[in-house]
Amino acid sequence: MSLIENLKSYSEGINVSSDKKKLLTSFFEKGFPTIQDEEWKYTSLKKLISEDYSIGKNGSILSDLDISNHSLGFENKIVFSDGKLISTPKIKGITFSDFSDFECSTADTFLQLNSALANNGFTIKVDSNTIVDEVIEILFFTNTENSFNQYRNQIIIGDNAEIKFVEKIQNLSNSTSFVNHFTQIDCGKNTNVEYNKIQNNTENSKLIDTMNIFQKEDSTCNINTLIFGGSFTRNNLNFEQNGSNCESNMNGVSILDKNQLADNHTFVDHKQPHCTSNEMYKGVYLGNSKGVFNGKIMVRQDAQKIDAFQSNNNLLLSENSTIDSKPQLEIYADDVKCSHGCTIGQLDEDALFYMRSRGIGITEAKAVLTYAFASEAIENISILEVKLLAQKLLAKKLNVDLDFSV
Amino acid sequence: MLKIKDLKAGIEDNQILNEINLEVNAGEVHAIMGPNGSGKSTLAAVIAGKDEYEVVGGSIDFEGEDLLELSPEERAHKGVFLSFQYPVEIPGISVSNFIKTSITELRKATGMKPIPTKDLLKMMRDKMKLLNIKNGYLSRNMNEGFSGGEKKRNEIFQMAMLDPKLSILDETDSGLDIDALRIVANGVNKLKSKNNATIVITHYQRLLDYIIPDFVHVLYDGKIIKSGGKELAHELDERGYDWITKEANKK
Repeated sequence: MSLIENLKSYSEGINVSSDKKKLLTSFFEKGFPTIQDEEWKYTSLKKLISEDYSIGKNGSILSDLDISNHSLGFENKIVFSDGKLISTPKIKGITFSDFSDFECSTADTFLQLNSALANNGFTIKVDSNTIVDEVIEILFFTNTENSFNQYRNQIIIGDNAEIKFVEKIQNLSNSTSFVNHFTQIDCGKNTNVEYNKIQNNTENSKLIDTMNIFQKEDSTCNINTLIFGGSFTRNNLNFEQNGSNCESNMNGVSILDKNQLADNHTFVDHKQPHCTSNEMYKGVYLGNSKGVFNGKIMVRQDAQKIDAFQSNNNLLLSENSTIDSKPQLEIYADDVKCSHGCTIGQLDEDALFYMRSRGIGITEAKAVLTYAFASEAIENISILEVKLLAQKLLAKKLNVDLDFSV
Repeated sequence: MLKIKDLKAGIEDNQILNEINLEVNAGEVHAIMGPNGSGKSTLAAVIAGKDEYEVVGGSIDFEGEDLLELSPEERAHKGVFLSFQYPVEIPGISVSNFIKTSITELRKATGMKPIPTKDLLKMMRDKMKLLNIKNGYLSRNMNEGFSGGEKKRNEIFQMAMLDPKLSILDETDSGLDIDALRIVANGVNKLKSKNNATIVITHYQRLLDYIIPDFVHVLYDGKIIKSGGKELAHELDERGYDWITKEANKK
């Protein structure tokens, strides 16, 4: 069976509200997007949706070892096993709870599917004026073979609060798994949020991750996306600035090989004046891997004095790797500063020779230069554990035993 | 230590070195001088193993081994060091990280145990003193935004850290003011021993006031046309290259 048939038979066996039924009917009518669809022009879903998935099944019980093996070691953890929320931390000023449905109107197929059928996820409410020093780690484990899971998460951050998250989606087997992930963050006034996504799943894992962020005035939100694993990754990262003096920052590092594909779609909607956005995506492509970057920046008419910066730099380290990069700027205000840049290149031969002349082997020299290339984005991550992990995973991916942390 | 015999090399179809012969022994300092375009930097690059240069004839023997058969990193492992005329900027890698990687890889290749980071940092600080390098330097990105003098000092700093057998200083004096020149030369002199050798490539005699050569060679049109003692450098400084090139052309 294909995913759409899996979804049909699953939805026939459950009861959903009439609104959701409508969403489902329209979804089954139009089906999944194809490369004719502008938003999916460079990323084909064909293979992904032709596979057979099991939906709504629970696998074996998660062991403590599974958790510690994949954790970055933070004390405060939210843990999911095959969709079920199995543990939440206790922190003063924060309420953690299970899935609770929330509205989200969208034209996006995967979000509609998520709205119609997702019944797992978390809800986090951070009280106003709560400053959380500890990092909150969110782990989603997949235990069932060939599973399709949908999470729908909401984080509501009260005014003047500060908080940091690290998220990991982890398939515990080598079988295929597909997660359609959706997280909404509501940033209150004068909040500061950092959310780190470590996308280092097993070889046959697929992910579609949509994150919608709504920012009120004086808020800062930083999203860091690190892609090392998984066969298929699509990130839709959308910021909506609904107050003045907002700051939206994005850092992305993708290091891909074999037949991996990673597609980063970002969108910043500048609706109010005196806001900034800063976007830095670095991609390194080996083997037959493929990257896609689509960065859209919208500056609405009333959004004067906007400072928007976007860069997408790519290294193609093999003959057969590709990158499609597309900056998209729509500016309707007249007093703004917007800049964007995109580069695609190879490693600098002179630098390689320089390093080799210092006794550094060619594989190591390439790795050091690749790290140097990606480090600008990695350095922007404020959590040391995440930074160190990124360095470690980069070295592993490039097959070298080097420590970049000095 | 180093024996260059009838070396011919060039880039694509353009032959730059025409039968270079040079022998350098441990404990010696050789200066190679010559006008622009005579092949000085090509010689340095060929010894270090830059692969855009093609060796079409002759041999380079380094301590009994055929150097031309080795990759640039293997040459470094054997103890060959090139101080670059134009050191490369590497944004994103700190000086300390670069040197640590270099030393770790060198030691790995030669079967030595890695040095603990703490000891390595101490070693770096000691060598920094030798070259009057200020604090804060180790965390700067490799050569990024360095002045000409800082870049050259960084080259000699690496030389001090790697402790090579044969150092080739390619125009290390260019871009240095007199104070920096003195510091760099002083560093080179302090690193000199009876077990290592130095080849100083330079345009001007000025550097040779500080690093006293045992031998001076004049390179012209890809050939060593005259060799002599340190007094040859003075003579060149006074009379220029013309008289030697004329002499060579007559032959």
